Amino acid sequence: MDVRMEAVQPDAGADADARPGAAPGPGAAPAPGAVARALQALDNILRSLGLEGKGRIVFGAFVLAAWILSGIYRVEPDEQGIVLRFGKWVDTEEPGLHYHFPYPVSRVLLPKVTQVNELQLGGSAEFAPGSTGNPTTTTGAGTTAPGTARSDLANQMVTGDENIVIAEYVVFWRIKNAGEYLFHLSDPQATLQMAAESSMHAVIGEYPIQAALSDKRQEIADHAKEMLQRILDRYQAGILITQVQLQRVDPPAAVIDAFNDVQRARADKERARNEAEAYANDVLPRARGEADRMNEEASAYKEQVVNVARGEIQSFLSVYETYRQAKDVTSWRMYLDSMDQLLRKSGKVIIDSSGKGGAGLVPYMPIAEGRDKGAAAAPAPGAPR
Amino acid sequence: MTPQRLALGAALALALLAVLSLYTVDQSEQALVVRLGAPVGVVRDPGLHVKLPLVDTVIFYDSRLLPLEPPLEQIILGDQKRLEVQVYARYQISDPLLYYQSVRTLEQARSQLTQIVSSALRRELGQVMLSALLSEERRPITDVILNETIAKAQPLGITVRDVRIRRADLPPETSQAIYDRMKSERQRQAKELRAQGFELAQQIQARADRDRTVILSEAQRQSLTTRGQGDAEANRIYAQAFGRDPRFFEFYRAMQTYRQALAESSPTLVLSPNSELLKYFGNGTRDLRP
Repeated sequence: MDVRMEAVQPDAGADADARPGAAPGPGAAPAPGAVARALQALDNILRSLGLEGKGRIVFGAFVLAAWILSGIYRVEPDEQGIVLRFGKWVDTEEPGLHYHFPYPVSRVLLPKVTQVNELQLGGSAEFAPGSTGNPTTTTGAGTTAPGTARSDLANQMVTGDENIVIAEYVVFWRIKNAGEYLFHLSDPQATLQMAAESSMHAVIGEYPIQAALSDKRQEIADHAKEMLQRILDRYQAGILITQVQLQRVDPPAAVIDAFNDVQRARADKERARNEAEAYANDVLPRARGEADRMNEEASAYKEQVVNVARGEIQSFLSVYETYRQAKDVTSWRMYLDSMDQLLRKSGKVIIDSSGKGGAGLVPYMPIAEGRDKGAAAAPAPGAPR
Repeated sequence: MTPQRLALGAALALALLAVLSLYTVDQSEQALVVRLGAPVGVVRDPGLHVKLPLVDTVIFYDSRLLPLEPPLEQIILGDQKRLEVQVYARYQISDPLLYYQSVRTLEQARSQLTQIVSSALRRELGQVMLSALLSEERRPITDVILNETIAKAQPLGITVRDVRIRRADLPPETSQAIYDRMKSERQRQAKELRAQGFELAQQIQARADRDRTVILSEAQRQSLTTRGQGDAEANRIYAQAFGRDPRFFEFYRAMQTYRQALAESSPTLVLSPNSELLKYFGNGTRDLRP
């Protein structure tokens, strides 16, 4: 009795269910009588189909031809044909029409080698390895049982400074070497997932949280990709990682408020600075304008006093000129002119015939008569206080 | 029995013999041939092979890398920090005979390997610090675990190809403490940022205020200087002109004052008839007569 241990189904193969090598054991050997009965039955079937004599030979030839032609197969442009003869990998065919020995001698596996597959890790899709449209993959989902119940913790990663982040990432891969992919790993997809998780956790563990959250994300993804490819190459998995994308790196929900508050604080800082700068931008030009005004006013004043002085001395000089020509007359006339003006404005003129001037009168007279109280109340300059 | 029947029977017997003595080894398999209970050979070459019918039994083993995913384990590290570690391993049946003799079944192999990996993991991680695990030293640490596992699994006919830490998480009880620390760190940062904002704002505003004061006082200084210059210039002009005849200037200026400033105040005048102004008031035309 043959014992087939760990005969895990090949992961990728168009006709994976065909097991030509599974020879029936000795216990299945039919008795000679049974053989005769079977032949009789076959004979009856053929007879009922109306096949006798020559017809039988034609029928046999037809069956033989069909059997031989069943070895024709087509490799699609996105596939590679892996030809197995008695289970041994003998050939790798490129796209096109090909022939192999018919069953049970040879069979062919047709993995899709150009298709880029996507494996979403972290987040809700964690345990449904995305094999987008790859119908040949059957394992993977079933082999990740440990940890499934802990999916809330599954995408948590510890950063280099012992903080925790939650990361979601996608691995894009395709088959690099179909033979290796098919025959070196019993569960290529699950292995890919394990290796991807392992490398992403390891890489994130080398970075501090701030770097993982912001500017170093691309670097982390690149490192993880390199590491993952290295691991897979060591397994000779025949898988090429085309890209690792770090989609989302967040602090855990429990602390996200604190992180957001840091962002707000950063904005607040910026705002405070902007406001202060707005204030400065408002104050300084005004001050400069005011300074300009003061300077202009001062120069205006300067011009003014100089001009007035010039004008005054001009008028003085003119008067002086006439005065020089007739000193007595001019000065007397000027005196009278001035007195004229003064007396015209004066409210009261008292002529004191005592000849002592106003000295005798002053004590008895109200100096101000309500006309200009302020001026009268003002103490005389130099008067004792 | 016709000769035809005889030939057919012989052909069938031959086919039966072929079925009983031929077997194929798949590309992903290897086989152990056991003759009446005694192992006689290992077939690693995939393809069609021959055995003795009825006597030989062929046991097939997977030749590919096989998965091993031990359950999550809580491990106390060298610095007494606890860590939930999940590893995965990939192994190969490298010696089917040894494998057949020592473990026989897949379940047995898995449980033994799991124990080997687990003990290696505990021993190694029990000596390292968390900080070492979270750095580039992780690689050498896992290498030690791998080497130990390889050595221990060798007698089972198994070659362990890789043991890797799939994830290493802090347990939920510790997570809370970490969260608190993360929170307080962020709060510190936020406070610092806001204070920095205040600092910046104050700096900028104070500088602006200072600049304004400087600008204005500068302007004041300049304008006062300019005004003084104007006054000085005016004085110079006056002095130059009036210096020609100071006595006349005195008179001229006094007249101006009488006429303008004094007259503006509408004064009450007390005049003496003896004054020069009123000399004609009392004397009439006496002075004019020769």
